[in-house]
Amino acid sequence: MGKWTRRAFIATGGLAGVGLIVGVAGVMHVKSAIKKYSGEGMGEGASLNAWVRIAPDNTITMAVPRAEMGQGVYTSLPMLLAEELEVDMNQIEIIHPQPESPYVNTFLLDPNPRRAYASYSVMATVAAFMPVVGTGGSTSVKDLYDHLREMGATAREALKAAAAEKWGVAVEDCYAESAHIINKKTKEKLTYGSLAEAASKIELDFNPPLKAQKDFKLLGKRIQRLDIPEKVTGTAEFGIDARPEGMLIAAIRHASVVGGTVNGITNEEEVLKMRGVKKVVMLEDGIGAAVVADNTWRAKNAALALDLDETGNTLENVSSSDISKMLNDIVSDDSKMIATPEAHGDVSAALGGDAKVIEASYTVPYLSQCTMEPLNCTLVINDDKCEVWVGHQGGSLVRDAVNAVTGIAKDNIKVNIKFLGGGFGRKAELDYVKKAAMVAKQMPGTPIQLIFTREEDMKNGMYRPAVASTFKGTIGADGMIDAWDNRMALQSVGYSSMMRILPAMAAPPKDDPQSAEGAIELPYSRNNVNVQFGEMDLPAMQVGNWRSVGASQNGFFTESFMDELAHLAGQDPYEFRKKHIEKSDLPDAPRFLAVLNKVADMASWSTPLPEGKYRGISLLKSFGSIVGQVAEITKTGDKQISIDKVYCVIDCGRIVNPDTVEAQMQSGIVYGLSAALYGEITMDNGEIVQQNFPQYEMVRMNTSPTVAVHIMEVDEYPGGVGEPATPPAAPALTNAIFAATGERVRSLPLNKLGYSFV
Amino acid sequence: MELKINGEIRNVDVEDNMPLLWVLRDELNMTGTKYGCGVSSCGACTVHIDGVATRTCTLPASLAVGKEIKTIEGIAAGGQLSAIQKAWIEHQVPQCGYCQSGQIMAAEALLDSNPNPTDEDIDKSMNNICRCGTYQRVRSAIHTAAKWRAEETTLQG
Repeated sequence: MGKWTRRAFIATGGLAGVGLIVGVAGVMHVKSAIKKYSGEGMGEGASLNAWVRIAPDNTITMAVPRAEMGQGVYTSLPMLLAEELEVDMNQIEIIHPQPESPYVNTFLLDPNPRRAYASYSVMATVAAFMPVVGTGGSTSVKDLYDHLREMGATAREALKAAAAEKWGVAVEDCYAESAHIINKKTKEKLTYGSLAEAASKIELDFNPPLKAQKDFKLLGKRIQRLDIPEKVTGTAEFGIDARPEGMLIAAIRHASVVGGTVNGITNEEEVLKMRGVKKVVMLEDGIGAAVVADNTWRAKNAALALDLDETGNTLENVSSSDISKMLNDIVSDDSKMIATPEAHGDVSAALGGDAKVIEASYTVPYLSQCTMEPLNCTLVINDDKCEVWVGHQGGSLVRDAVNAVTGIAKDNIKVNIKFLGGGFGRKAELDYVKKAAMVAKQMPGTPIQLIFTREEDMKNGMYRPAVASTFKGTIGADGMIDAWDNRMALQSVGYSSMMRILPAMAAPPKDDPQSAEGAIELPYSRNNVNVQFGEMDLPAMQVGNWRSVGASQNGFFTESFMDELAHLAGQDPYEFRKKHIEKSDLPDAPRFLAVLNKVADMASWSTPLPEGKYRGISLLKSFGSIVGQVAEITKTGDKQISIDKVYCVIDCGRIVNPDTVEAQMQSGIVYGLSAALYGEITMDNGEIVQQNFPQYEMVRMNTSPTVAVHIMEVDEYPGGVGEPATPPAAPALTNAIFAATGERVRSLPLNKLGYSFV
Repeated sequence: MELKINGEIRNVDVEDNMPLLWVLRDELNMTGTKYGCGVSSCGACTVHIDGVATRTCTLPASLAVGKEIKTIEGIAAGGQLSAIQKAWIEHQVPQCGYCQSGQIMAAEALLDSNPNPTDEDIDKSMNNICRCGTYQRVRSAIHTAAKWRAEETTLQG
C-alpha cells in the first residue's frame, strides 16, 4: 500500500473543512476523542496510555495496531516502546487492539513525524474524526518512531513518580530497569505491576527527554522477532485459521469476465444436494455467488459446480494486445499527457540539437500481489453485533466496510486482525471483507469464513497496472546527460484504489503522486528534464497497490535507461551514475553517492569478474530510503542465466532492528525478481489467463540469489524498509543481462523473452 | 476412515477423495498445515506420510489410511523444539510465516534422508514457494540444523 491518502486528502480540501468545523471550542472534545480507547483484549491491570497496560504480575501488554504481514512490525514497534519504558523484550505480550483513534496512522495522511508531546496537529484532529488505522506504504516505523518512545518515556516517568511517592523519596532518587523501579539509595525494588494502578492516575506536567542514540539498549540491535516461535510450530493464527464455534465455509465464484455480473444460478437444486452444502448464496449487485458448506473442499467443489448465468462488461472484447495498443497510443500522443510531475530546462530544444537522440520504449505487465495466504475473511452477525477475524492491512477500513454492508453500528463491530500470510497491498482492499459480510448477513448467527480459492484470488485481482514508458535522451559534449524526456501511460493506482477504499478522498489520476514515484526526483544532474504521464481509461480493470507501487515499474524504467545512456556515452554504468550524482544539487545527493559507492565497493565493481560472469547496477530512493544494488549473474547457456548474488546497500536513516532491515532487503529483492523473471497477468477477451502457480511462477530456492546486505549508519529520521528493496532488483538484473548478452531488456517478464533461470 | 496422525488414531467421516489437507484443517481443526494453491505447486500443505514429505492438497485422505501421518503439530515432540525449529529461530527465518510449516516439514524430511545436504541437494529438494523470499535463511538454517543434529547424535552415541 502506498501513501495513498496523503495527496488525495489535500486535493479534496477535506483538511481545511474539518479544521473549520472543529474550531477553537472543539479542541477539548477533539483531544478526548483522540485519546479514547477501550483497552479491549489488553487483559488485567492498569493502562498507562493507549499503548501499554501493566498487570499486577508485571505482565506488560502492548497494543500493536499495525498488521504483521512479515515485515516485523510486531517486534519493531514494541522495541520503540520498550526502549524508553525500560522493559525487556521478553516481558512484553502483544495484542492487536481495536481500530481506535489513538492508533491512527497519521503518516498516511501527513508525512511529518508524529509527536505525542507536540500539540495536536490539524492532521491528528482530522484523524480523530476519520481514523484510518492502517498499515502500508512502509510507514509503520516512520509514523511511530518518536511517538512510541514518548509514550514509553511518559509511562516510565509516571511509574517512577508513583514509586517515589510510595517510598517518600524524590523522583530523582529512583530509576527504571527491566520493569522495576529501583531506589538508588536503598536498592529497594518495586515491580511496575505493583505501581501501575497508582501511576495510571498521575498526569505528568513535563515532557521527559528521550534517550540519546548512544544510550539505546534495544534500538539498532539485532533483536529476535517476537512472532517467530509460534511461526515455527504451526500455532501462529492467520486469518484463514479462525475457527469460531459452528463456522461454515463460503467459497466464492465470480463471473468469468473480470468485474462481470452474475445474474443467477441455473442449477441451485442440484448443488444443494451435494454433500455438506448448506446454502447457495447470491451476492448483492451480481458481484458473485457463493456456496456455504461444512468444509472448504466441499464448498469449493460445489462452487465450481455452479452453473452461473453471467453477463460480461466493457472488458469482454478486451485482450492484453488491445491494452498494449491503448498504452502505446497514449504514450505517443502529447495531448494525452495529463500531468507533468517534473520539468526543468528546455527538453524540446535539447532534443532538437545536434546530439544523437537515443530513444527507448519500455513496457511492464499487470501483476498479482499473490499473497501466500489466499484472500479470506471470517465474520459472524448476532443481532445488532458483528465480529470479524481477518488478515487485513487496515482495521478501521474493515470496520467501516462491514458497517456499510450490514448497517451494524461501528461500535458494535469487533475486528480481530490476525497474522497476514502476506499483504503486499492486496490486503488493503475491502472486496473480500465486504463479500464475507454479504454472505454472513444472509446467515445470521452462523460464523462464515469466505474464501477465494487460489484461482479466484488470482483472477479477481487489484493488479499492479500495466505500464508503457518511453524515453528520449541526449548526451552533451561533456559526456553528461543533456536531455531526459520520459512519458508514461498507466492507470492511476491512487484513484482506482481510493475509489474503492475511501471514495470521498479519491483525487483525480492527474494528482496521483504514485504514478511518477521512481521517475522523478532522481539523484542525477541533468540539464533538461521533462516527465509526464497519461491515464488509460479502463475502470473495469481495477488496479491496486503492489509492493512498492509506482516505483516498482519506474525503477526498472529509469535505471535501465540510465544504463542505456551510460552505454551511449561509452562510460562505465557505475562511474556514469557517480558523475551525475556528484553534480546534483538534490539535498540528499551525498546520501545517494554514499550508497552507490558502498554497493560498488561491496561488489568489487572495479575488479573484472571471471569469464562467463557479469554484473549490473541500480540505485533508487523510495518510501524515504535509498537502495543500491549490484546483481552478479552467470551466463550458463544461450539465454540461460543463474542469478548468483545481489549486493544490496540501504540508507534508511536510523535503524530500529537491523536483522529486520536485512530480512526486508532479501525479501524485497526476491519479490522484485519473481516479477522480473515470471510475473505477468494477461487478459483474453476479458478473462484473466493465469489462474494458479506454474502459470504465475515465483523465484524458488534453486533460482534465488544470495543477498549480501549492508545498512548505512545515518543519523536521520527513519525511512521505510518494507518496499524500497523491490524496485532496484529488476534493473540490476537486466543491466547485468545487457552486459552478458548485449540485449537491452525493455519489457518484462524475462521468461517471455526466452530467458530461463537456473 | 481411520487415520494415524502424530501417533494418534483419529476417526473421520469423509469422502475417500477428500484431500488430506482439508481433513486436517476443517475436520480436525489442525490448522498448522496451510492451503496455498490446491494443485501441489507451492508446498504450503506439506506433511510427512511414512516419513516422506508429501503435498496434501491433492492427496486423497484414503491413500493415507494405514500410514504414519506427521504434521507440523507433531514436530515439537513433548514440547521440545526440533533442531530444525531451533535453527529456524536462530536464523530468524520466517517473515509472514504462512509457508513455513510446509518449509519445515520439507526440511525435516530432507535431513531425515540426507543428514548433511549440500547446497545442490537443498536446491533439489526444497521446492516450496515462499512469497517473502526467505530462501537464503532457510538454506542457512538447514545447514545449521544438520550440524546440530550431528552433534546430538554424537552426544547420544
